[in-house]
Amino acid sequence: MNEPPKEGIKYVETTVRLPYHYVAGDYKALYLLALKEKRILGSKCDTTGKVFVPPIVASPESFAPCSQLVEVADRGVVTTFCVVNIPVIGRNLELPYVAASVALDGAAISIFALIQECKPQDVHMGMRVEAVWKPDGERQGDHEDIQYFRPTGEPDAPPETYINRL
Amino acid sequence: MTQAAPTAAPLSQRQKMEFPYKHSTGPTIGRFYAGLKEQKKIWGQRVAGQGVVVPPLGYSEIDASEAGEWVEVSDRGTLTAVALVHHPIADLHPSAKPFAFVLVKLDGADTALAHIVSDNLDTAKVGARVQAVWAADDKRSGTLRDIESFRVVG
Repeated sequence: MNEPPKEGIKYVETTVRLPYHYVAGDYKALYLLALKEKRILGSKCDTTGKVFVPPIVASPESFAPCSQLVEVADRGVVTTFCVVNIPVIGRNLELPYVAASVALDGAAISIFALIQECKPQDVHMGMRVEAVWKPDGERQGDHEDIQYFRPTGEPDAPPETYINRL
Repeated sequence: MTQAAPTAAPLSQRQKMEFPYKHSTGPTIGRFYAGLKEQKKIWGQRVAGQGVVVPPLGYSEIDASEAGEWVEVSDRGTLTAVALVHHPIADLHPSAKPFAFVLVKLDGADTALAHIVSDNLDTAKVGARVQAVWAADDKRSGTLRDIESFRVVG
């Protein structure tokens, strides 16, 4: 045979595996441990007073240290959201679901969260929501300690209160 | 305002990210792999301006002209580059024990093939002669790992 087989191999299956050892660092460690106690920590910029959640050691805006950890509320306002209709591998949420940015009361920026216990079409900018925590004894100190956020029924927040905290 | 920033005991978590790929080989590499699996042979292609290219691409990297005839090359060759990996990362690297990434210029080829040397690493030097270690007949599946590794000879 002076050539390779006419019928070639059609596909190669390869799984690329990236094993990580993630080290939280001081601020993220304290933040995660606080979730276990149903507390959400942010860090306060020494110069501007803005509160970042999750906490970071320095402000990307002022470059000043954020040397103080402060507690923020477990409730806030939906600043922007997305109704998800397409399943993602490795995620078992029932479709459609709502992924939203939630600006917690006391925080200068928003976190990413699920909104449940309401119809996806009822979610809107300015809607007031609160965290639904895992029950005592089940919280692990990770982001899933907050299962999702749900509407509080309070009146909507006016846009000027969250437009700069998207 | 300066004060000591709060500290915490180290907290860490091991995670594994996985990307399951199924990629289409295309007609040229497909036949190259079929040669490894079914014939236990390594094939290159004669390409204008480049000589015998292994592994073959089907075209010239110089002027994009179509590759010429298939040419069988030896499963022996010479190392042209060696990078030792003393501390492999399990599941990420091709070997769990120390190994070397190497380029092998096979006899009859004009380009080098990227592969690994897994034994006698102290002898894996540029210029060393190596020989392919083939996977058993029932283990070859049509991938580059149908050659398990190269071993240094002589």
